[in-house]
Amino acid sequence: MFRKVLIANRGEIALRINRACQELGVATVAIFSEPDRDSLHVRQADEAFCVGPGPAGRSYLNIPNIISTALITRCDAIHPGYGFLAENARFAEICTDHGLTFIGPKPSVIALMGDKATAKRVVSEAGVATTPGSDVLDSPEEAQAVAAAIGYPVLLKATAGGGGRGMRVVRDASEMPRAFAGATAEAEASFKDGRVYIEKLITAPRHIEVQVLGDEFGNLVHLGERDCSVQKPSHQKVIEETPAPNLAERTRSALHEMARRASRYVGYSNAGTLEFLVAGDDVYFMEMNTRIQVEHPVTEMVYNIDLVKEQIRIAAGEPLGYAQSDLVARGHAIECRINAEDPQNHFAPAAGTVSKLVFPGGPGIRVDTHLYAGATIPPYYDSMIAKVVAFGDTREVAIARMDRALRETLIEGVSTTIDLCLEVLETDEFRKGRYDTELLLKEPLHR
Amino acid sequence: MTQHRAHIGIGSNLGERAANVERAFAAIAEMGTLVAKSSIYRAAPWGKTDQPWFANAVALLQTPLSPRELLDALQAAERRLGRTPAERWGARVIDLDLLLYDELDIDEEGLRVPHPRLRERAFVLVPLAQIDTRFGALRDALPEAEARSVAPLGESASGMPVQGTHSIADRVRALAQFLAGSDAVRVRIARPSDEIEVARRGSEAGAASRAVDRIPAETIAPRIDTIKADLVGIFHSSRPAPVEGEVFEGDRELGYIEALGIRTPVHSMGPGRLVSNSAMDGAAVEYGQPLFAIARP
Repeated sequence: MFRKVLIANRGEIALRINRACQELGVATVAIFSEPDRDSLHVRQADEAFCVGPGPAGRSYLNIPNIISTALITRCDAIHPGYGFLAENARFAEICTDHGLTFIGPKPSVIALMGDKATAKRVVSEAGVATTPGSDVLDSPEEAQAVAAAIGYPVLLKATAGGGGRGMRVVRDASEMPRAFAGATAEAEASFKDGRVYIEKLITAPRHIEVQVLGDEFGNLVHLGERDCSVQKPSHQKVIEETPAPNLAERTRSALHEMARRASRYVGYSNAGTLEFLVAGDDVYFMEMNTRIQVEHPVTEMVYNIDLVKEQIRIAAGEPLGYAQSDLVARGHAIECRINAEDPQNHFAPAAGTVSKLVFPGGPGIRVDTHLYAGATIPPYYDSMIAKVVAFGDTREVAIARMDRALRETLIEGVSTTIDLCLEVLETDEFRKGRYDTELLLKEPLHR
Repeated sequence: MTQHRAHIGIGSNLGERAANVERAFAAIAEMGTLVAKSSIYRAAPWGKTDQPWFANAVALLQTPLSPRELLDALQAAERRLGRTPAERWGARVIDLDLLLYDELDIDEEGLRVPHPRLRERAFVLVPLAQIDTRFGALRDALPEAEARSVAPLGESASGMPVQGTHSIADRVRALAQFLAGSDAVRVRIARPSDEIEVARRGSEAGAASRAVDRIPAETIAPRIDTIKADLVGIFHSSRPAPVEGEVFEGDRELGYIEALGIRTPVHSMGPGRLVSNSAMDGAAVEYGQPLFAIARP
């Protein structure tokens, strides 16, 4: 096992990783930007180093300062969390070059699957269905030609993308130049990689993803699926749940099987997620996220497995220790993401200081957050401030718990998306478990 | 049981600082009898505007504990009050230093009494002298600017870090002196952080044709620049090492930061006088960590 791990992230995921390390008896080093000096992850880690000013490009993405910190503090591994450098193959390589273990898959696999266009080509070689689309596009004209061939509407996506950034829906050829420029600029700003590709837009699909976990000895299991169809028009996920409700058993097993087959084919190790679009009986592979996901807690709840600890154990060279047949999911788990956003202003990120704070508790509730009363939310980063997870033996129990947990929650000082989550829970579609990615586009939820 | 007298320095620059210091007083009181406590002082980190300020105080304790037992008790209190166990750079919830223990001179592994920082740092000497008059002379010997950077909490403008080394009172005094010797009618002083305009009572007639007197900003507040680390690495001092009070005519290489095998020099960025040197040779530095404070000519 490692002696000391550097956590190359901030916010709730930095705390999550710190907790896993502490339970494993591994020392931790936090990094932080100047405005995050009073952040909880800085306080809870054993050591903490400022690596740059507020803008992420100069702090949480500052590879030389991060590596230098790891070397000075004699860390043996780096956990990248999600976002920032989590899917940067070059960073993973640089870690290796400096004798630091990157807690994640091999750099070559990150590079392969991180390039979303290449990933689709590779998984189709493994016999997994993918959405019709393109390779990396060089110009809006080229994009228009591809879109004409597969038919509008299409989705422009960043090859390095995730979290809805660098993504644009294009409904006809006239929208292409503007969308292409926007997606490219956003991708460049978010990921330092402006390359984009096209995918056919499947109308009203469900967004279902499969969690996989592989060790470095070729053992690989899936840990069921998560339904992430409740998404904002920007494709940012709002609510995730597992298992996916009202999914035909043959479709469910097909998803699990495809995820394992594709992961094995690329020699995947550590935690990863394969995202699929599901429309009726049709299943299309969309992309693979070669990192821990925001919504990993719902899987942890039903499988009773600590995915972050598993990531660390696997990276330290330990075998999985269980086979697919040993894994049985129990119950139902739902996660609501609470963002500091202004619902009155198109959910624009809201910065500010939290004046009052009460989080829910009681049976079946888990809260992952870096918030505390008096905490300042800087304007530079992702607006997610808390994840509320509800577990129940049945979906109905989980929903009832989530509903009362969100009503127990009190966050004053910044606007949040709590009310949006409550509204979703109350819709007939969600109650019945019959919803797709268009749920948040419908009245009266439409924003 | 034999009772000893120990002076303990308290510092906090994270969270509710004054409250942290009060909690520290309470924790120290449990290690014996609290005989005296200083006011809580607000210490401006040198010339810094974006770094948190420190709340500092000193407690005088009568205690049956040995120096080593007392040190252990102080470290346990630090942990309990929130300081993380391992060394961290910059912000801390609470910092407790054993400054003096009777008249003892101790130099052991991890235990040095009197505390090495005692005689050179205003944030220790000012509160210490308040409760122990023996240190009045030492405090009075501090460079004026340094002594002024430590003020009882609540005396500086609220919410504003104390800037540079001159109080608002100093600046107003300098301004009044300037006005007394000048026939200017209206004077406006603008700095990046604030602005003040003073007008002489009476007519402005005739003033329009007169040239505006300009006074160099230095007479109001000499500029103190803080040289900070702009990367994470190990700081190495130049040879000969820069010493406080040293004056350099031109640019002076003060040291370099070594990171990933590359040495990045740290320069004085022009002439000046070295006011303070907080860079430790061979120590790790984080981004933005203040290394040197330089008064500009």
